[in-house]
Amino acid sequence: MLGKGGKRKFDEHEDGLEGKVVSPTDGPSKVSYTLQRQTIFNISLMKLYNHRPLTEPSLQKTVLINNMLRRIQEELKQEGSLRPMFVAASQPADPLSDNFREAQPAFSHLGSPPLLPAELVSTMPLESCLTPASLLEDDTFCTSPAVQHDGATKPPPPALQAVKDSFSSALDEIEELCPAPTSAEAVAAESAAHDPKTQPSESNIHKPEGLPESRTAESKLMDPLPGNFEITASTGFLTDLTLDDILFADIDTSMYDFDPCTSATGAASKMAPVSADELLKTLAPYSSQPVTPNQPFKMDLTELDHIMEVLVGS
Amino acid sequence: FLGAGGGNDIQWCFSQVKGAVDDDVAEADIISTVEFNHSGELLATGDKGGRVVIFQQEQENKTQSHSRGEYNVYSTFQSHEPEFDYLKSLEIEEKINKIRWLPQKNAAQFLLSTNDKTIKLWKISERDKRPEGYNLKEEDGRYRDPTTVTTLRVPVFRPMDLMVEASPRRIFANAHTYHINSISINSDYETYLSADDLRINLWHLEITDRSFNIVDIKPANMEELTEVITAAEFHPNSCSTFVYSSSKGTIRLCDMRASALCDRHSKLFEEPEDPSNRSFFSEIISSISDVKFSHSGRYMMTRDYLSVKIWDLNMENRPVETYQVHEYLRSKLCSLYENDCIFDKFECCWNGSDRQVDIVMTGSYNNFFRMFDRNTKRDITLEASRENNKPRTVLKPRKVCASGKRKKDEISVDSLDFNKKILHTAWHPKENIIAVATTNNLYIFQDKMN
Repeated sequence: MLGKGGKRKFDEHEDGLEGKVVSPTDGPSKVSYTLQRQTIFNISLMKLYNHRPLTEPSLQKTVLINNMLRRIQEELKQEGSLRPMFVAASQPADPLSDNFREAQPAFSHLGSPPLLPAELVSTMPLESCLTPASLLEDDTFCTSPAVQHDGATKPPPPALQAVKDSFSSALDEIEELCPAPTSAEAVAAESAAHDPKTQPSESNIHKPEGLPESRTAESKLMDPLPGNFEITASTGFLTDLTLDDILFADIDTSMYDFDPCTSATGAASKMAPVSADELLKTLAPYSSQPVTPNQPFKMDLTELDHIMEVLVGS
Repeated sequence: FLGAGGGNDIQWCFSQVKGAVDDDVAEADIISTVEFNHSGELLATGDKGGRVVIFQQEQENKTQSHSRGEYNVYSTFQSHEPEFDYLKSLEIEEKINKIRWLPQKNAAQFLLSTNDKTIKLWKISERDKRPEGYNLKEEDGRYRDPTTVTTLRVPVFRPMDLMVEASPRRIFANAHTYHINSISINSDYETYLSADDLRINLWHLEITDRSFNIVDIKPANMEELTEVITAAEFHPNSCSTFVYSSSKGTIRLCDMRASALCDRHSKLFEEPEDPSNRSFFSEIISSISDVKFSHSGRYMMTRDYLSVKIWDLNMENRPVETYQVHEYLRSKLCSLYENDCIFDKFECCWNGSDRQVDIVMTGSYNNFFRMFDRNTKRDITLEASRENNKPRTVLKPRKVCASGKRKKDEISVDSLDFNKKILHTAWHPKENIIAVATTNNLYIFQDKMN
């Protein structure tokens, strides 16, 4: 179980990681607030997109998680953060709308900001597991984009390519801070070479390149799913896509599988404390910090580190 | 706290426990709802496997004045079966979400039980006589050869072993797109409401092919959905008034006389957020999991993740009382979010109609449950465990140590078992008998009678 705070190497102060109100404006505790926010964001994404129940997932739960994601995205947007992972996160992603689509997905008429397709978002843990490594660096922002793109461009199916491109274009969007809807055609025209357009040194400067073509990607992928009306409360997109299998083939998401009834540790076990603590211990080699049970971020970062290594194939 | 002696304090003793003993919980046996009937003679439970088990209290034995009648199994039946929604390729769970009893009008008992999609009205009746002496049939049912009948007789009823039969009398289906979370019978005893995540429907108990939508919070664009309905209940006395709670911690009181679609509330109950307690999880922990009117109808109680609040219907801007159920969890919210415990839906209940007593009860983790005495402002934590199963022994109060040195007999927060949650509790309508459901066991406690 997680109690009060613990030290991190770049944090001089002992901050509580949970429960305390850490204002984003505090100096030294801003990082811990940011990390906490990031952790919660990752957890939220995993909850929405890794869960494939046989029965409909709870709408209440989905709505609350979605609200959490939106709030964090709003915050990030306001902060104007340019970290790639945050950028992708800052897309006004709307997993809920993906799940509860009312009519045929047709983005050109939508006045709302572009939506993140399910598989796009499903790569987010990938993205997010890459970026925190950069957070641990002293020069925080510069190194991640290269890593990110390298990591993401393993021989992917075209959809993944489009997905990755949408990330880059999402960077632009954040730069604009004010996405405007355009037609899908214009978006498609932009799609070609977003690829490694970002140099590490330019990671903070992303020239706007028009609308992210995430919409195109989405339209392509959503067309085969005409039945996805509001009634499809499950992550209908994921079930139709093989992308999910590709992306998550190697990822061990067991740390996010907390099912009280089938927990590997047994029905009578204490769930959270055991798993969080055990994870910390197993991941201790990754961390130069003394591992205490009080660091949800540390666990998350090092675990994501581990995931990144697996994916990059190192 | 309660139980420490003193005039009117209730001392709770273990009475009975029902259910499997072993730690390995079969998923179907997980109890999902508990409800006493209006007299308290019957106690119904619903489980994840779609079954309803009804216990009946023995008539008081005059010689055994130290305890009230025990509850024994009266009837067991399969209320709902799992279904498959072919359109969405998803299973519809058979889990019983709620049971509500109708007041008894004749010899039979009636209850409403619901899963995520379908509500059923069940009739539970007793048969303790059977006709004997047919002319054309033998006693074993075989038909007699008519040519052998030489005299006629009138069949008579003879006693037989009691048989309790449950039969579905009405099936109220196909009215809910989303998952039903509440049913509530109106004080007119003719209509009832059913609430799902986005809509509330009004039914007549006799009519199954039609229901009226009285609340609809579904946005035109589902992308804009940020709030869902979490619970709803009719006012106990006013047949046109009901309340519903939301995932954002608000309660709306509606009057059906105002308009056919009660999308505009008459009253909105909401407590402003405490800025010193703000965190990422503020919204989630404010989500109301249960709402219950007091017997008088003057107050209502709501349960959110960490607290129980009592509201005066005449005051909308804040509750009149707030009781902390397990405040020590506030610093653990991130973990509880990660393992989904933060979404657990705890229920709450008022005590019965004993006027001397004004207590509210709710469950917590580690098989603990909590009671708050509104008169004395004292509270107590008790545990539902087979270790305390000596009848007539007063339950020992429990204490959780939030931080610092743990005293003897205290349990530290890190040792709590979050798998052992008490979500459902019920209080006998007339006596101080309570039913507390752990994961798959039902505990019955009663106050110590002197």
